[in-house]
Amino acid sequence: MDEIKNPINLINKEYKTINLVTFEEWLEDSDKLSKLGIGVILDPSNDVGLIKESLDSIELIVLDFRNFDDGRGYSQAYFLSKRWKFKGEIVGINAHLDQLQFMIRSGITSYQLLESYKGFNEEDYSSGFSICYQAAANNSGLNLKY
Amino acid sequence: MYQYSAQDKQFLVERVDQFEKQLKRHLSGELDEAKFRSLRLRNGLYMELHAHMLRVAIPYGTLSSEQLRALADVADKYDRGFGHFTTRQNIQFNWIQLPEIANLLRDLIDAGLHAIQTSGKATRNITADPLSGLTEGEIEDARPYCELIRRWFNLHPEFSWLPGKFKIAINGAKLDETALRIHDLGLRLVRNEKGELGFRVFVGGGLGAAAMVGAETAAFVPVVDILSYLESSLRIYNLKGRRDHQKKLRIKFLVRELGANEFSRLVDEDWQQTKNDPELKLNLNELESLKKDFALPIEPINLDRFKETVNFNYSIWKKNNVRIHKVSGYSIVNISLTKLGSAPGDATSEQMRILATLADQFSSGEIRTTKRQTIVFPYVRMDQVFDLWKSLEEYDLSSPHQGTLAQIVACPGRDYCDLAKAVSIPIATRVQERFNDMNKLLDIGDLNINISGCENSCAHHHIADIGLLGMQKNGEEYYQITLAGETLRETNIGKKLGPSVSGETIVDAVEDIVNVYIDNRQQEEKFTDVFKRIGITPFKEKVYG
Repeated sequence: MDEIKNPINLINKEYKTINLVTFEEWLEDSDKLSKLGIGVILDPSNDVGLIKESLDSIELIVLDFRNFDDGRGYSQAYFLSKRWKFKGEIVGINAHLDQLQFMIRSGITSYQLLESYKGFNEEDYSSGFSICYQAAANNSGLNLKY
Repeated sequence: MYQYSAQDKQFLVERVDQFEKQLKRHLSGELDEAKFRSLRLRNGLYMELHAHMLRVAIPYGTLSSEQLRALADVADKYDRGFGHFTTRQNIQFNWIQLPEIANLLRDLIDAGLHAIQTSGKATRNITADPLSGLTEGEIEDARPYCELIRRWFNLHPEFSWLPGKFKIAINGAKLDETALRIHDLGLRLVRNEKGELGFRVFVGGGLGAAAMVGAETAAFVPVVDILSYLESSLRIYNLKGRRDHQKKLRIKFLVRELGANEFSRLVDEDWQQTKNDPELKLNLNELESLKKDFALPIEPINLDRFKETVNFNYSIWKKNNVRIHKVSGYSIVNISLTKLGSAPGDATSEQMRILATLADQFSSGEIRTTKRQTIVFPYVRMDQVFDLWKSLEEYDLSSPHQGTLAQIVACPGRDYCDLAKAVSIPIATRVQERFNDMNKLLDIGDLNINISGCENSCAHHHIADIGLLGMQKNGEEYYQITLAGETLRETNIGKKLGPSVSGETIVDAVEDIVNVYIDNRQQEEKFTDVFKRIGITPFKEKVYG
């Protein structure tokens, strides 16, 4: 079993000034929280559409990729990045090495790998292929053929 | 014929390198079994009962003779000299050693072949009518569309980790040889009242334990908008599909739970946001270029003065195996690989090489694979059909079974598959032995029998005239019978006849059913038409009476 870091500590380390709340906490108190420059952590089961209207007042959004076969985070990232043009960072946490290229192309702007991938060369996995067969949320620097 | 570019082949090289690295990490304990399983399946690799199985894609069921030779070489070098053509037009190798997989895949790259997304929870190989481009009344050859859609969903960043597998079929012909409404998503090429080309979309079909016919979610999606529509369909599935219940992963369960109308509404709502995105428009220049690549390599020829050879065995074979081509002077030839006791769809490397040579000689070097696990030569000159038959005779490939009851579709069954509950191939053999009189077979006519060894329904028993499903009862093998499934003219799931029948007496039951059909049919009436007219009772009374 992979060891899962506490995402809140982890994000605080990377983005020192940003405090994080859960999706439920945000929905409950978004009026107050929106003035504080806060980040929101989503679970794959959360309906990302519910925060669409308040994206301008969220600093950063964290998506959780711990479950290898659960692909909902990629669609969440797509909505935030491509559809709604969220301006803050979209952070993928508990990421798996073999899925980095999928996450990045779906719109994740930074990521934190699970602890168990320590020691692997991330660039071997995040750089992807010399050609991509579709347009996606992030096509930067890619050679597209479709 | 369409071929991969150097750029496409470079992609395949990189994909094999990536997979080899994943395999090495797994073997050294750095990648656990659960994650490796997910990764290996999307590269066609299964761990089977006795060895490892690799499924290689034959996109839209079209192969060049060169590709077939490459597959024959793989069968010799890495398997036991066999390949198995599947009901989804692909080919499987059953005796692969784990450390050799990367080299096997590298050997296929030159021929433009790969195993990408032949399994796993992603969009699978896209199937097309094996007679694409060949029949009269077809709206258009579906293969250029298959290729563009296949590309788009190749390692798609958003849709590679779906709740379940996702199978797409596209048909442009009058008769539906693809069975598109039993697919997760089926596209039928249509023209609207303005004469514009588009797709009618069906979602949520599938076989297995809960067989369903796909519901129409869109009556007309313009060709240029199909990618965005497919993305929206997959997005709703990705976000809302069941992930909590192993047996409810497929999109058919989502469509059933939401209702087809609500599912369509959600897709449409999403699609309205994306359909005008220029990045998601189908590349029409590329489509035109692909249409040229897939254009038929033949021109009409005048054979008015040609006289067919008279030969009894040839006539029987021709009646069952040869179809009219839309290009005058040409025929479509169906080659059955069925032999008594062999798994349907099995071909030896020698047979593959012979077929490749004959395809070069008689069929412009092109071969098609079908969901009935047969081989089609798409471009045979009418005045050369007899010569082709003679060659096939010489190599024991002239089985005249096509379109008769003896052309049985069967999965590998319990002899080879650890999921199966009962044997399939031995039942197929016994049915063939029971009906071994060619006159009788010709009299019975076009009637299909499909045998699946378990509810996974690999042999598509639900859509056969007579479907047999293997199961276990008190430690013994039994078969549930379904009747009158069909997909060609309309789509109907076969109706259950009654209690399952023991393996011992199942062939008697099949014979009873065939006899009820023969006794009741009027002229050339098809099995499904007789069934609709007389109902299930006469069949029940005969089998259980």
